[in-house]
Amino acid sequence: MRAIDIHAHSTPQCFQREVLQGRAWHGMTAAEGELHNPRNAWTPEQRIEDMDSIGVDVQIVSTNVAFYKYDQEVATTVAIANDCNNEVHRMTMDYPERLAGLATLPMQDIPSAIAELDRAVNQLGFKGAMIGDHVNGVTFDDPGFLPFWKAAEQMGAVILIHQALPTTVTPRLDRYHLPNSIGNLTDRTVTFATFVFGGVMDACPDLKVCLAHGGGYTCYGAGRMDRGWKVRPEARVNIQQPPSTYLNRFYYDCLTHSEPALRYLIDTVGVDRVVLGTDWPADMMIDWPVGWVMGLSSLTLEEKEAILWKNLEKLMGL
Amino acid sequence: MQTVDIHAHISPEGMVKAMAEGKDWHGVTSAEMLPIHEYTPRTMWTPEERLKEMDEFGVDVHVLSTNSFFYFYERDASVVTAMARECNEYVSQLTKDHPTRFAGFATLPMQDVSASVAELEHGMGQLGLKGAMIGDHVNGATFDDPKFLPLWKAAEASGAVIFIHQSGDTVVSPRSDNYHLPNTIGNLADRAVTFASFVFGGVMDACPDLKVCLAHGGGYTCFGAGRMDRGWQVRSEARVNIQQPPSRYLDRFWYDCLTHDENALRMLIDMVGIDRVVFGTDWPFDMAIDEPVAWVRNTTKLTDAEKDAILGGNIVKLLDL
Repeated sequence: MRAIDIHAHSTPQCFQREVLQGRAWHGMTAAEGELHNPRNAWTPEQRIEDMDSIGVDVQIVSTNVAFYKYDQEVATTVAIANDCNNEVHRMTMDYPERLAGLATLPMQDIPSAIAELDRAVNQLGFKGAMIGDHVNGVTFDDPGFLPFWKAAEQMGAVILIHQALPTTVTPRLDRYHLPNSIGNLTDRTVTFATFVFGGVMDACPDLKVCLAHGGGYTCYGAGRMDRGWKVRPEARVNIQQPPSTYLNRFYYDCLTHSEPALRYLIDTVGVDRVVLGTDWPADMMIDWPVGWVMGLSSLTLEEKEAILWKNLEKLMGL
Repeated sequence: MQTVDIHAHISPEGMVKAMAEGKDWHGVTSAEMLPIHEYTPRTMWTPEERLKEMDEFGVDVHVLSTNSFFYFYERDASVVTAMARECNEYVSQLTKDHPTRFAGFATLPMQDVSASVAELEHGMGQLGLKGAMIGDHVNGATFDDPKFLPLWKAAEASGAVIFIHQSGDTVVSPRSDNYHLPNTIGNLADRAVTFASFVFGGVMDACPDLKVCLAHGGGYTCFGAGRMDRGWQVRSEARVNIQQPPSRYLDRFWYDCLTHDENALRMLIDMVGIDRVVFGTDWPFDMAIDEPVAWVRNTTKLTDAEKDAILGGNIVKLLDL
């Protein structure tokens, strides 16, 4: 039995060293990077100790979403991504058995994003990249992104999708933590839809996309997307099959905070498509993730093993 | 056993007539009215044509709600109050002409809460209606806003059912306006936010007898309740108004069965309780369930008793039909 976590973040130490001295870091300050959470200040050694305590063998580390910075000058974001990815790379070199990496990318400039993904995957040994649900309002059905998907497909890189605030819910209701607790899940559903209805999954049959937060509401809401596809020509411009037939083309982490929802996800997308994702070290993470999965009475032991490590071992070559 | 559809829309006859003559109707131009009505010719059917199709589908009763197109919350309140009165009188007349086939919901000028309270009381009193259909928000104000509390109190006092149904842009529209996603994802996200605004806002605690029915199966509410609970656990701002996690409130609402997915309907029933799910079709629009009674009857994951409860039993009790 192992446990491999695809959804685990890092706030770079190189950033913290500067901003905690009151100095700017590529224009960023201590107000960013979720420094109010003390675990974001932890060293890799402390991270490994915590992984030991919660039973996680391997974290596939992604830099915190605060470092997306898609709205900055390209050169600034390229420099940020470079530093972040170098730091994650050092962590994976120091703990090759315990840590693997997902890159952060300057998605507002596709040639730069491809170049950094290539460096990360082919020189630094990363498994792929984590990106947002959109880039400055542009969703992933935009043809401008196609060279990026093609490059990821060719490299075998896994693309993990994870929002940064604000989400679609923020303008409606910015209270009660709803931009996160409903918004993250809505954003992820829209991203599934933009990949599918936009024809990206047809254009890139080998593209590996993993949707964080269990893919949001995707699996539960597929029936209404299918109905839209049936009755509206604008939903059929790019795809010949209903969107639900694409559910098993994606991977999903198990971060549902609900056993019936996880059971529904497995039943809808197939157990070979669901992987362990915890959201370490955020407050919205699963507290004792391995214990939570092991304790679920509606999953078989085979399903628990598939989710905890077997699927990611195969997907990531770990 | 009666089959009763809680989610069936209507356009007022006076408006259809005005549109045909190229005239304005309560300040709405025929050019504004034409697109949705021409796209969906059934919106212009006579009551007799509607009844004939209800017979074909095996639907005994429509709980008529004026199309959400007529909310017009952004327009002048006095104009919309008069428009709502005409809509509500038309629906009321149909329920009197066909008392075994039609019941009705009011539409309300929600930009003016006092006028809405008055119209709801008129609807529940003189007009014999069963409640009202309203949007997920009013010009951006969500239902946790204290200004709406008098309306919830009035609904509670009169036993009115408040049926929640979006109109126009949803939270998804600004992100992606393609592939019909503002409807297929947006309606469901809007409904989950509305559940949350009622619950996290403390409305369900302040009004223990308020009856709210969430259209489109309550959207993503039941599937997403776990993450709302987690937010309540770890964030103090999610606990300002409520002492219990939001999932505890799932069985305080009613939900129609409009999921377009048998597995989703099964999960809804399992999460909220079979007594909370009612029949809703979205007649006459293209996103309706095509042959709705047959769809429910043909589901393989529901028992016959559950099908009976959804098709009629629950709503007959809820609306006292």
